[in-house]
Amino acid sequence: MNTQRLTLLAVMIGMAAGCANEPRSRDIANPNVSGETLALQVCSNCHGATGNSKSPNFPNLAGQQEVYVVAQLSGFKAHSRQDPAGFEYMWGISHNLTDKQIQELAAHFAAEKPERQRIEGKPERIAAGKTIFTGGIPDKGIPPCASCHGPEGNGNATFPRIAGQHADYLVKQLTVFQRTNDRPEGSVMKTVAHELTHENIENVAAYLQAVPNQ
Amino acid sequence: MRPTPVHLSGKIVRALLRALALVAVVATLWPSYAAALPTFNRQTGQNCQACHAGGQFPELTPYGRLFKLTGYTLGERTLPFSAMAVVSDSKVSNTTKSDDPKADFQKNNSLIFTGASAFAAGKITDNIGAFLQVTYDNYAAQSDDGKFHGHTSADNMDIRYADRSIDASHDLIWGISANNNPSVSDVWNTAAAWMQYVPVPSPTSSRFIDGNAPYPGLAAGGNIAGLTAYAYWNQMLYVEVGGYRTAKGVASFMSAGVAEGDKTKLKGTNPYWRATLTHEWGPHNIMVGTSGMIADVFDDPLDTSDLSSVHHFRDIGVDSQYQYLLDPHTVTVQLAYTRDRHRVPGFLADQPVADINGDPLPNTNASDKVNVFRAKGSYIYEAKYGTSLAFFNQTGTSDSALYDPTRVQGNISGNPAVRGWTSEAFWTPIQNIRLGLQYTVYDKYNGASHNYDGFGRNASDNNSLFFYVWGAY
Repeated sequence: MNTQRLTLLAVMIGMAAGCANEPRSRDIANPNVSGETLALQVCSNCHGATGNSKSPNFPNLAGQQEVYVVAQLSGFKAHSRQDPAGFEYMWGISHNLTDKQIQELAAHFAAEKPERQRIEGKPERIAAGKTIFTGGIPDKGIPPCASCHGPEGNGNATFPRIAGQHADYLVKQLTVFQRTNDRPEGSVMKTVAHELTHENIENVAAYLQAVPNQ
Repeated sequence: MRPTPVHLSGKIVRALLRALALVAVVATLWPSYAAALPTFNRQTGQNCQACHAGGQFPELTPYGRLFKLTGYTLGERTLPFSAMAVVSDSKVSNTTKSDDPKADFQKNNSLIFTGASAFAAGKITDNIGAFLQVTYDNYAAQSDDGKFHGHTSADNMDIRYADRSIDASHDLIWGISANNNPSVSDVWNTAAAWMQYVPVPSPTSSRFIDGNAPYPGLAAGGNIAGLTAYAYWNQMLYVEVGGYRTAKGVASFMSAGVAEGDKTKLKGTNPYWRATLTHEWGPHNIMVGTSGMIADVFDDPLDTSDLSSVHHFRDIGVDSQYQYLLDPHTVTVQLAYTRDRHRVPGFLADQPVADINGDPLPNTNASDKVNVFRAKGSYIYEAKYGTSLAFFNQTGTSDSALYDPTRVQGNISGNPAVRGWTSEAFWTPIQNIRLGLQYTVYDKYNGASHNYDGFGRNASDNNSLFFYVWGAY
């Protein structure tokens, strides 16, 4: 029996010493694992294999601006993005990512096709959200979202794609911008969101989830 | 049914307040994102609630299920050790209907160090990972002088090889698990090995707490050795099949520390199966599944020479779990039902039994059926404040073999029926600590609502309050 146990132990140590399976690895500390592999083997668990997440707890990443994803992953890794969703889920996952992996991850999700989202808000709410998106709230000095995020909400470089994003996620992030300094790289949004009421936020989020994907 | 109220004594209230004060201080001083976390947290760098629904370990989120099914290999190799410990206090409603309350309700209404577990768990290679638990029971045995003695033995063990083929159009996770407890490899909380989740203290004052009330389960129990193969296709269909044998030879570590007379000794290889359908949409996910096992368990673990001296069990279960997970809300509904058919060894069947007056009862049965149903709903806010309500109902065939005219634990009807409710409130001030208060009420126990033991004890006399503090590091 001792021989059997020793053999088992030797086999286990041998397996532990090597046996990297980089094409299908879930190792977030191995720089040789490609961003594409990590996207499928790790990120897909929350964000979906194509960057279209099922749960509104996790943002859709399909079609997201590459520059923006690089900035966010770098922010998680450097702990400069400190909102709860960021540090609870993303700090550890991004801790050892290399610049190359971050770039590959961003390219992977940017190339994926966004799926259409369910329309969940009432028509009046969505219409009110569209008004804010396209025209802002001039009385409060709030600019139209479209002025930075584009007329279709597809974003541009550091300005993220927000069209087709989960409404719940948008509400939470707008609240983070408005009430905290947890996302310093998005400080411009703190100014924009400062005067939004909760109703305004709910409206614009409902519109953005519903807006047809291009 | 009118449950007998349990009044908190001054002692338990003081103990509770002391524990609450201590936890409040720790929670205040602790950073909002704890730097020191159990092994899986260190491996993934994520909070408990990423894998555990609302932070209520061990119930898994969809992400936690994928983490386990991919063999605990997501993340980075790190120090693979963790520990957990439980402090608890059990209080039985009525301790007067007993010949020897000190023996029948050991440590009643006393705050005790229940026990602790050590874990070696986590990623070994890109395809291999493990979850190995060893548990110390602080009240494992009692000597003649009344002193309790602790003991350590193997607990849940699961060593996996897993792989995943995934692209935009398909997702197949498959693997092999070597484990020591049928369904410990499962990822849904309605599985026999996981639905009962709070460690149960050994002193007899805990004999009626929820953890000792009926749970749908598999008769073969733990500390056996099995190999199962599983596949999860498109996060929709899960199938697992395997077989279990007595833990011996290279697998003897799976029952390490268990006394020979307490081991489950199986005849041959005993099949286990599991299949589920799952669906996730938005913040909702649902599972409908079935599982089962056929096991031949030797009557006497110390004598397995007679191959006919086995109990033959056939357990078939259906279960379902619904989760709504959207920060800050977590809602879970669980349903589980098992039918157990038990054929006793020939030498135990058709045996004469006399009642306490010497009058004959029907001979013992050759086989029995026991059905267990359990439903539970829970709600957790901010992964901190939780409440749950559970209903359990065990029914089955009457058998004179169950006739037992002794106080408290006795059964004069020969019927196994037990029915009741458990309500719970819990608080997770930091993700490593949970405080819970459970109250379990019975309207049927050992086949009857009233005088189930033949000495005037009613089911409601067993109503129990259970307080626990559960920490993991």
